[in-house]
Amino acid sequence: MAFTLTLIGAMLACGLEMLEALAIVLAVGITRRFRDSLIGAAGAALALAALAVVLGPVLISRVPLAPLRILIGAFLLLFGLEWLRKGVLRLAHLRSPSNSFKEFVEEQESLESLPVPPAGQPDWAGRTIAFKGVLLEGVEVILIITALGARPGGLAPALIGGSVALVAVILVGLVLHAPLARLPETHLKYVVGIVLSTFGVFFAAEGLGVTWPLSDAALLYLAAGFFLISQLQIRVLTRERPAVAAAA
Amino acid sequence: MSLLRQLRKLVLGETWSLPLGVAVALGAAGIVRAVDGDDGWWHHAGGFILLGLVALALTGSLAGALRARGR
Repeated sequence: MAFTLTLIGAMLACGLEMLEALAIVLAVGITRRFRDSLIGAAGAALALAALAVVLGPVLISRVPLAPLRILIGAFLLLFGLEWLRKGVLRLAHLRSPSNSFKEFVEEQESLESLPVPPAGQPDWAGRTIAFKGVLLEGVEVILIITALGARPGGLAPALIGGSVALVAVILVGLVLHAPLARLPETHLKYVVGIVLSTFGVFFAAEGLGVTWPLSDAALLYLAAGFFLISQLQIRVLTRERPAVAAAA
Repeated sequence: MSLLRQLRKLVLGETWSLPLGVAVALGAAGIVRAVDGDDGWWHHAGGFILLGLVALALTGSLAGALRARGR
């Protein structure tokens, strides 16, 4: 149970973050030069690999198990609840839907105003934008994988999920932006919010000395709980929407 | 500086209300656990209390977003 949910959570969360990084790399590559875009992205990937090598072992070997669970739970709650908050607002039509394709087009438009250096000279602007985009999205990927993988037996499904996401995103990148526009990103991010928040409460409570009834199956009723709470919030916000629009 | 700001936004999110809510929920849960001891009711029911506190934190941040839109 925990294996499957960890795998799905890691796969969806990492896949969506990587998709946002891909949108930036593609925008830089198409508008400027693919070589510089890929150099920037590769630099960020190296920095992220160094962060992953340091962060995982330090956390697992230096921090005692109970505080580690609380720390991991807190991180997962921060990520999960933020995704869930945005998901609820989007599904209540109080926030524009999530769309990596739109971000790709906007990034492309903003890059067109920057002059491209002559052939043979490095395009530092393009490299920096690709580096920053991949680094920022990648930090979240590293933190999610580290948090999900730090639980006993959690590393394998977290790494498998992350790897599947990486392959899927590379495939999307190869066939370019057509599938990017078709992904139901708002709903996927809402699901990721539920999954990460579920793991967050589960780990943090274990760290605080709780024994969950039905052991790992608690993940299922916690996810159901978050689903029901968020659906209720969506309904309430949808009802409040006309009043908010009138006051604005 | 802008990179640091973006990193803060990525880790803590767009609002302060949600990270503060999570901190308050975990802090309150820690206090209740400390008061109740190792073998009390918290051991079996504490997870549901934490779920409730986290749900309140989420509701609070959504109410904040709604108020901000209404202004």
